[in-house]
Amino acid sequence: MSAMNKPKPVVLSQRGRAGLEFLGSLQSYASSSIRDLARAAFDTDPDGKRLIAQRDRHGANEPWGDRLKQSRAVAEKYLSYRVERFYQRYVAEEVYVRGIPAAEERREEAEAFLKLKPGATLGSLELDDGLAIPDWFEGVEWHLMPDGWDGYDLYGPVMAFGIGPLVFKQGGYAAVESGDDIRQQRFDVVRQLRKPHYDRIFEPGCGSIPTLSVLADVFPDAALVGCDLSPLLLRNGHVLAQRLGIAVDLKQRNATDTGEPDDAFDAVVMYALQHEMPVDVNIDVFREMFRILKPGGEIVVSDPPPFKAVDPFTAVLLDWETDHREEPFFTVTREVDWADVMRDIGFCDVEAYPIGEKGYPYVQRGRKPE
Amino acid sequence: MAQKPSEPYLGSELSDTLLRMNTELLSELWILRDRVRVLEKLLEEKGVLETSAIDEFAPDEAFAAELEKERAGMVRRVVGGVWEKDVTVKSLIEKGRG
Repeated sequence: MSAMNKPKPVVLSQRGRAGLEFLGSLQSYASSSIRDLARAAFDTDPDGKRLIAQRDRHGANEPWGDRLKQSRAVAEKYLSYRVERFYQRYVAEEVYVRGIPAAEERREEAEAFLKLKPGATLGSLELDDGLAIPDWFEGVEWHLMPDGWDGYDLYGPVMAFGIGPLVFKQGGYAAVESGDDIRQQRFDVVRQLRKPHYDRIFEPGCGSIPTLSVLADVFPDAALVGCDLSPLLLRNGHVLAQRLGIAVDLKQRNATDTGEPDDAFDAVVMYALQHEMPVDVNIDVFREMFRILKPGGEIVVSDPPPFKAVDPFTAVLLDWETDHREEPFFTVTREVDWADVMRDIGFCDVEAYPIGEKGYPYVQRGRKPE
Repeated sequence: MAQKPSEPYLGSELSDTLLRMNTELLSELWILRDRVRVLEKLLEEKGVLETSAIDEFAPDEAFAAELEKERAGMVRRVVGGVWEKDVTVKSLIEKGRG
């Protein structure tokens, strides 16, 4: 990165910084120490033991639904579970309640950070004002983010200088365990691609390029293309790409209809997108990725694990996301065997497995036949 | 802003509210402690005082009396607040005068 492109960091006020750091520590403590107590209570509860034994006996084929309800009832008997969930929700709300005013106090610096220097030509940004935004996306305040992804012009700096380094860095939210390094997890997932070199890689739902930037590190010679529905995320991604000195082509497109030609990419990576889309849309996205992959091309998908791959207590935690962290499709997408769906669509060599010690990140990968 | 959860986490809205207040207070306390530590660090860096001087500081009689008065007032307000029954203009004036 040249000195000219080096971004000037936005330094938050003492109150803004310390308030967000407090949330990081609270979330980390709740999701480790308090959650351990909640898990131990579940594991030693007679009904909890029965549900665990049931899962061990019937394994992956046991249908969820009622069992999830029973597991939740066991977890909710204990104050440790209720308090841990309270803090999860509290932090999820407060990161924005504190993050937005903290960025607003530094509006001038934050706007300067988002401004591209004239002549910035690395990669491209293609926005489409006329793109039909699907009903399932419109109006959702994802992760309790006020007014959704595009709801506040400084969400990029809020994440880059506030929530990211001061809260999320400590892990402990959603499927991410306390102490997990979320950037390292992206590297671990990207390395599930089987070859040492790819000419062209596509990422649906690329947002502000957290995964594309990792792909650029791991495969520096590959041409990278990403699409997303959110113009604000794409704009932020384009700025970040200039800052990092990487060439990525970003397009405002629906991942079900990318506009890319048939057989155009050697690999597709999809990171933490599956749970943000309805089941039928996921299937359409898989079909579209199959279409744009070259014969022999690979796909790697990472998302929180399906219910069948986790113990009943963890399943309760995952299911909780749906109603409490505005993740409308979290539960329904955890019930599906996506490896089977991929095989039905035509992918071969399909595998599904966890790469993290406690089940996350979870990966599904496959290949388009030659 | 996102809607409130359909059911309280701790069994009642009152419990949720109280824990929320408690957490906000803990947060405010941390922000203040962080600020004090920043002050100590800056004062030390600028050669105004050493942090150890605060730890080793022993109030003289007059300052100790000032601190005691403030401390007693705080205990009365926080711990005694719920027991106060006879609130009158006179009692409020006295409270105002410490």
